[in-house]
Amino acid sequence: MTRTVSLSPLNRIEGHLSVHTDTEPIDGGKSCRVSEARCEGEMFRGIEGILTGRDPLDAQQITQRICGVCPISHGTASVRAQEMAYGIAPTHNGRLLQNLIFAANQLHSHILHFYHLAALDFTDVKAILKYSGKDRTLLAFQAWAKNAVESKDVFPAAPFLPQWDGNYAEDVDFNVSLIAHYIEALEIRRTCHEMGAVFGARLPHSTALVPGGCTQTPTLERILAYSSRLKRVFAFIRDVYVPDLLQVAKEFPQYFEIGRGCGNFLCFGVFPMDNAGNKHVRPGVVIDGRWESLDPSKISEEIGRSRYAAGPPSHPFQGRTEPEPNKSGAYSWIKAPRYDGHVMEVGPLARMMANYHDPSDTPLKKELTAFLASQNLTPDKMASVLGRHAARGLESLWMARQAGQWLDELRADEPPAQDFEIPKQASGFGLTEAPRGALGHWITIENYRIKHYQCVVPTTWNCSPRDDKGNPGAVEQALAGITIENPQQPIEIGRVVRSFDPCLACAVH
Amino acid sequence: MQNCNRRDVLRMGASLAAGMGLSAWHGDIFAKGLDEIAAGRAKVLWLEGMSCSGCSVSLLNAEDPGPVEVLTELISLVYHPVLSAIQGADAVEVIHKQVEGGDYLLAFEGAIPTTMPGACLMEGKPLAEILPAALRGAKAVVAVGTCASFGGIPAAEGNLTGAVSVRQFMEQQGLPVEGRLVNCPGCPTHPQSLLGTVAYVAAKGYPPVDPTLLTPNMFYAHSVHDECPRFHYWEKRVFAEKFGDEGCLFKLGCLGPLSHTNCPRSQWNSGANWCIRAGAPCTACTSENFARKRDFPFYRKCETYYTASYTEADRQGVS
Repeated sequence: MTRTVSLSPLNRIEGHLSVHTDTEPIDGGKSCRVSEARCEGEMFRGIEGILTGRDPLDAQQITQRICGVCPISHGTASVRAQEMAYGIAPTHNGRLLQNLIFAANQLHSHILHFYHLAALDFTDVKAILKYSGKDRTLLAFQAWAKNAVESKDVFPAAPFLPQWDGNYAEDVDFNVSLIAHYIEALEIRRTCHEMGAVFGARLPHSTALVPGGCTQTPTLERILAYSSRLKRVFAFIRDVYVPDLLQVAKEFPQYFEIGRGCGNFLCFGVFPMDNAGNKHVRPGVVIDGRWESLDPSKISEEIGRSRYAAGPPSHPFQGRTEPEPNKSGAYSWIKAPRYDGHVMEVGPLARMMANYHDPSDTPLKKELTAFLASQNLTPDKMASVLGRHAARGLESLWMARQAGQWLDELRADEPPAQDFEIPKQASGFGLTEAPRGALGHWITIENYRIKHYQCVVPTTWNCSPRDDKGNPGAVEQALAGITIENPQQPIEIGRVVRSFDPCLACAVH
Repeated sequence: MQNCNRRDVLRMGASLAAGMGLSAWHGDIFAKGLDEIAAGRAKVLWLEGMSCSGCSVSLLNAEDPGPVEVLTELISLVYHPVLSAIQGADAVEVIHKQVEGGDYLLAFEGAIPTTMPGACLMEGKPLAEILPAALRGAKAVVAVGTCASFGGIPAAEGNLTGAVSVRQFMEQQGLPVEGRLVNCPGCPTHPQSLLGTVAYVAAKGYPPVDPTLLTPNMFYAHSVHDECPRFHYWEKRVFAEKFGDEGCLFKLGCLGPLSHTNCPRSQWNSGANWCIRAGAPCTACTSENFARKRDFPFYRKCETYYTASYTEADRQGVS
């Protein structure tokens, strides 16, 4: 008999998401298996409509507020779209500074995601009570947790407890080291944001990011302020983050088999190398295992099952966002973007796969090839819960190394931005990669104001509902077939969905 | 992380106050506030409406006390949508139990949709149905960020959801505001302003606030313009003409005269930088008018092209 198992809210992500699954009983009814899933985006603000009629330069400020975790990605997509519309390109420093701010925010997001959002699904927090080592930070945490648990509080040791049972690893050292690194990662994540602020004024929501570059001139003092922090962040990624990923993989190897998804990957590319369109992370598309180059005209959004007034699949230059909260048959505020009609996965894994299958040599291909060889894995295993986490970590390592190169290329005290005039009539689009995947903004300017603005956002791709043909979205597909051991505590749904690092404020906006 | 003793709390209270540029008198109050919190008497329930979670991320950017101290010593964070380990139906249970039990501070991030209630759902129900109980049961309510304080971007001109601030929502629901609601605006809110306000509320109760804006005076009394490190350029009428120039940023659109905030003192991201220092015009993100009007752009590149409905005096905050 079909039974609905829900994770509502699916919290410990950004924003308002609920996941409902239809399941069939297995194991004599003790456990169940998911037959199909529905992702429901539950919050709509209508940022695109709010932008209409405004000064185009407001866009990189307002769109940053789509997401407090990845504002720089939205600011960058908007700046790219505006640069195309204004017919300008960033200065030498402007391009590098934008890359450096971008990398800092991407690193904050990946570290936050692994340690503070996702790892709690793989960590037995109560193991701290059994800790018998001598680390002062851990002993302090243990004393705090013991005290809290012995207190009469209804919810002691929040926000770490209570937590669900998850067939955690029995190894106390493994669990305790993830707790220790959760604590260390709080500081390192903050350090990443400090790096972003060194050139971006502040984070979240940088005020320094502008079309043509950035307002902060790179003085030697600023360069040093970034590089000293970058050293600490790089060391953490190399010595702690990546080894922890390998440990989690060792303790939960079954998650290389779980959460495969649609198997199609889309990457818009990121980190411009020049003003000629070359990027360090190359754009590309992988459909049914075959690589092809990206054609942005093949992007469309469908809204058959989304809470918007009916309309045909539309390219973002034509897309409309007219809310209809009670539309019959609709179950989500998220639209359903498709590439040439295909369901696509986006994110660090998609960047890895698009660059791995790219005919040219790409830096990410090098990272992934070395990783697969060292772990004795085939590339198909990457399309999994652990594969997504690994892609995020490997990308972080590459980014932190590459950021050092960009610092070296800065020309101290030279202009950080290209000046520009806003034309009366223009249009443009900006394609980049948020931490969570391919991100595009499309802008049309008329009479010096924004006439039309559309954003197609990573979690819109990943957490999309069914499209007009009834095809489920990437996360919905990844959930189909998974086993839930205890339907009262469906931790497996959380593990699969969080591996995509969903951001719901982004997905709906 | 250990159960703090009185001395630790005093030390941290003093460092929190010092970090904020406050007097020793304030330090003593913060110490008492932290003492209350460390003893587990003040619990914080954090809920999100129409938000971007930027204020939650900003909370994690706190420095002295840092995020570890905040989570394990300063705040007993009963529930937080981004951080709590507990999930799904059991997370809802935690929220309901705390609301029933009372005795908590409610930190609310984001705006609330009123004319389109379905634009923000929790447990599959409109937020506007669930929130009144949480507001009613709270000892005090802290509106975290500009969306919660004033409506912010979700309530900007042209929005279709009828987004309102916590204050407007409480008034619509007939819930008492006076002496209960404190606004901590900022897009995002500054972690020190937020933590300082929470500490004060825990120690002394309701803080001295601006009577119209309900912002605590200790963090929101001064304008950026009054304490601007580029003020000497303003006086000499040396203006930046394009991004990256030295000079006063007024002609690029800086809204420092309209912005009441602690930024010149606290700066951002552990003092790594802040807008004015970086050559970025202040967007007045703590203002009740932040981003609200189409005809009041952040920058001044375009404004000569259309009839602006604001005057130079509007920009300077002089009436």
